[in-house]
Amino acid sequence: MDLQLDFVSSETLESKTKIEKINFIIGKIKENVILILEETLDPIEEAELIETTMREIDTENFHGIEFYRIDHESTLRDKIAGYISGRKTGLTIVGPTRLIEAIKRGPDYISMFAKLDIPKSKKKK
Amino acid sequence: MLGSFKNVLRRILRVFNKKKIIQLGFYGPVNAGKTTLANKIAKDWLGKELGNVSEIPHETRQVQKIENVEVSTGSGKLSMNIVDMPGIATQVDYKRFMGFGMDDEEAKTRAKEATKGVIEAIKWLDNVDAVLVVMDSTVDPYTQVNVTIIGNLEARGIPMIIIANKIDIKGSKPDAIESAFPQHLVVPISAATGKNLDELYKAIENYLT
Repeated sequence: MDLQLDFVSSETLESKTKIEKINFIIGKIKENVILILEETLDPIEEAELIETTMREIDTENFHGIEFYRIDHESTLRDKIAGYISGRKTGLTIVGPTRLIEAIKRGPDYISMFAKLDIPKSKKKK
Repeated sequence: MLGSFKNVLRRILRVFNKKKIIQLGFYGPVNAGKTTLANKIAKDWLGKELGNVSEIPHETRQVQKIENVEVSTGSGKLSMNIVDMPGIATQVDYKRFMGFGMDDEEAKTRAKEATKGVIEAIKWLDNVDAVLVVMDSTVDPYTQVNVTIIGNLEARGIPMIIIANKIDIKGSKPDAIESAFPQHLVVPISAATGKNLDELYKAIENYLT
């Protein structure tokens, strides 16, 4: 299985309404794409993402998502600037559970464990 | 913008309008022990249990409510309606249920009910006065589900206590939960044995009413 990672800029996301953004994410994930968004979703958007995921789950093809928000550590000044501009600095990793097994936070890093159907002969190389 | 205004209004009203009976929601990931805790409280104070518990994920697939639970805290009485929510999850795979001996049809039905349960639990965020966020202290607390639940409660201005459950199990790490969410009160308990429940009742009285 090929692994497709799409990086989505904050400019692309800014032009979408909240519903458009959630539908865009779910649409991509259902095509087996892992997205790295150049912004964090706010908690309400995250809840909407989970809710939409639950509505879209079907027993055969789509079992859900894994996602992780990586907040940008910023100063109070940055936070105020972000609040005024509405821009949420950080990253979000989101993808289908059939590809992402887990996303875990280490002391200095974030690890994403992906499932790849690599044939046994290739694994040995 | 409207959401922020509602939150401010909610906080102001809470100061002037302390409710006699609080609507206490039990939120958390799947298999954290929410229903075990709800059952323990209901059994201790009403003599009856609320729902079934099981090691199979998504045992609670509908919101379960028990009204007018009165708890003595030593300094007074605490009256609450307990609302036990289905566990929040980002994925539901029916094949996982088949590992617990269910046939294909049973597993698919359970998966469908589980997805509806998660949606129902999220909708209920607008109807609770305060929340116990129940976490399993034997597993890594820094998960996106926990972060999303806490973020939603903060954004809505809903007061919460984090429960570090399962402290009776060897290897449990309630301090890991405290480190992950230092901005919130964490009460370590065992819903299964009842350990530290008195501390929990006092915390509810002090922080959530």
